[in-house]
Amino acid sequence: VPEERTDTQLLIASRTEPEAFTELYRRHAEDLLRYFARRTLDPETAAELTAETFAEAFASRATYRDQGVNGVAWLYGIARHRLGRFFRSGRVDAAARRKLGMPERDLPSEDYERIEDLIDFTPIREALAEALETLSPDQREAMRLRVIDGLGYAEVAERLECTEQNARQRVSRGLKKLALLLQERGMQLTTEVEA
Amino acid sequence: MNTEIRSLQLLDDDLQAVAARERDRLASIDRALDAGSGGPRRLPRRGRGGGNRNWGGMAAALVVVLVLAGGIGVLSQGGGDDSADSGGQFREVADAVSGGGGSQAELPAPTAAPPPATDRDRAAFEANTSEEAALGAQYSVGDQAGTAGGSSGRTSQGIGAVPADQGDLTKIIRDGRIGIVIADGSFSKGVAGVTQIARRNGGFVLESSSRDERSGALTLRIPAKRFDDTMLALRALSGQLEGEVEFQDITGQDVTAEFIDLGARLDILQDRRELLRDIQAEATSSSEILRLAALIDDVTLQIENIQGRLNFLKDQVAEATIKVEVRERDVQREDPGPDTENPSIADSFELAVQGFLRIVGAIVIGLGYLIPLGVIALLVWGVLTLVRRRDRGAN
Repeated sequence: VPEERTDTQLLIASRTEPEAFTELYRRHAEDLLRYFARRTLDPETAAELTAETFAEAFASRATYRDQGVNGVAWLYGIARHRLGRFFRSGRVDAAARRKLGMPERDLPSEDYERIEDLIDFTPIREALAEALETLSPDQREAMRLRVIDGLGYAEVAERLECTEQNARQRVSRGLKKLALLLQERGMQLTTEVEA
Repeated sequence: MNTEIRSLQLLDDDLQAVAARERDRLASIDRALDAGSGGPRRLPRRGRGGGNRNWGGMAAALVVVLVLAGGIGVLSQGGGDDSADSGGQFREVADAVSGGGGSQAELPAPTAAPPPATDRDRAAFEANTSEEAALGAQYSVGDQAGTAGGSSGRTSQGIGAVPADQGDLTKIIRDGRIGIVIADGSFSKGVAGVTQIARRNGGFVLESSSRDERSGALTLRIPAKRFDDTMLALRALSGQLEGEVEFQDITGQDVTAEFIDLGARLDILQDRRELLRDIQAEATSSSEILRLAALIDDVTLQIENIQGRLNFLKDQVAEATIKVEVRERDVQREDPGPDTENPSIADSFELAVQGFLRIVGAIVIGLGYLIPLGVIALLVWGVLTLVRRRDRGAN
C-alpha cells in the first residue's frame, strides 16, 4: 500500500499533477466549510467562501513554497484573507471561480440545515438574542424560531405562514447580518482554535 | 466524496473538471516541448490564444500611449494656454506697494486723499461722456472698439451715464477696461500707482501679470459706488506719468429684472415649503410623510439654488471689476491674435497650426513623464522574469 502523501506533498505535486489538488480538497473541504460557517453563521456565505477559497488556492498553487509550514496552513491563510474581505465588504466575490471557469452555484435547499449543524450556536446564543433587535421583524421572528427555539424549518415556515425556502432565506439573511454586526462589535463568534 | 453536504460534492465535481482541463493544458505544453523541432516553440496559453503579431493591437496601444501622453502633457501645463507670465515679479511690485515698503516713496502723489484728476483729464473724460451720451452707444476712447451692447440687459455706458446713487431697486453690474500708455521707465511707478488707487478706493488687485517689467495688466475689484472715482483716478495717473489713456470701455449689465424675478420665486418657494411642512406635521401614514419629505427636499434645493444665484449677483453688483492695461510708450501693444469666434481663412489656418503644435507639445511633455516610468517598469519586469526562470530551473 503506497504511503499517503502529506498536505504539503499534495500541494507541490498539484503543480504538475492537478488531480492531487482534488485529494487535498476532499481532506479539508468540510473542515473549511465549518470554519466559515462558524464565523459567518450563514450557510450560503460559508459555502461560497469555501468554493472561492479552493478556487483561489488552485489558481495560485504554483506560488506555494515549502518552507516547513504544513500546506493546509497556507490554505487557511487564503481562507482568513477571504473572510476578512467578506467582513469588510459584506459580500463574497467570485473572481477566482470565474478565472477557472467554475460555475457559481446556488446552495441546495437540503444543505441549509446540514451546514447549520456544523455551527455550534451554544456559545453565541446570548449575544445573538441581543443582536436580534437590530433585524427586520420578519428576519427576527424567523431567527428566533430557528436559532433560539431550535425549531426545524418546516415548523418555522408553518409559524410564519410562508414556504420553507422563504423561511430558510429569512434565517440565512438574518444570520449574515448578525455575523457582520457581531464582527463589527469585535465579538468572538466561535471558540474554535484556528487551524 | 465522503460527505452528506451536496454543495461540497458539487464543488468536488467542479474542481475535478478544472483539474482535468489543467492536466490537458500541461500535457499539450509537454508535447510542444517534446516536439523539439527547429522553429520557435509556441506554448499553449490559458485564455486568449496568441502568437501572431497583432499589428492592429500594437497600433491601438501606440494611440493609447500618445493620447495618454497628450493628456498628461495638457494636465502638466495646468490645462491653460496662457502665455508666459512674469506676474510673480509684478506681484512683488504690487505687494511692495500694498505692504507699505520703501517703494511708496516713488509713488506719484501718495497722499491719503484721492488724487484729484487733472483738469485736462477731467475735461477729456467729461467730453467723451457727453459725446457717448449723445450717441447712445458705448463709450470708447482711442483705438479700442467697445465690446458690449446689443445683448439684452447689457448696456455700455460712459462713466457719467450711471448715477452714483442707483436707488434700492436698481441692480447693475459694472465693468470697466482702461489702457494707459506711460513714459518709458515708469512701469513700476504705474503699477504702484494703480495698486494705490485700488486701495484708496476700498478695493484690491484681484489678478496681475506683466511682461519684461515694461507692460502688464491688472484686474481690480472696487466697491461699485467708488467705480467712477477709480476710473477718474486711473485717467489722472496716466497724466502724472507723462502718458495718456489709450482706450477705455465701460459696460453695465442691468440685472434688476433678474433680481426681482429671483426674489419673487424665492418668496413663492419659501411659502410652498412652509405649506408642505404644515401638511407633513398632520400626515398620518409613513408613506405620506416620506413623500412629503421628498417634496420638501426638492423645494429646499430650489431655494438654495436661487439664494446662491442672488448672492452671486449681489456680490457682482456690490463690487465692480476694472481691467487696467499699463505699458510704456515704446512697447508695442500685444497682438490680440486671430479672432477665434469668426476666423478668416488665414486665421483658421493659423489656429489649426497653433492647435497642432500645442498637441505635439503636450505629447512631448507627456512622453517626458511616461518614458522614465516605462524604463522602470521594464527593469522590474526583467528582474521578475529572471527570478521566475531561476525558480523554474530549480524546480
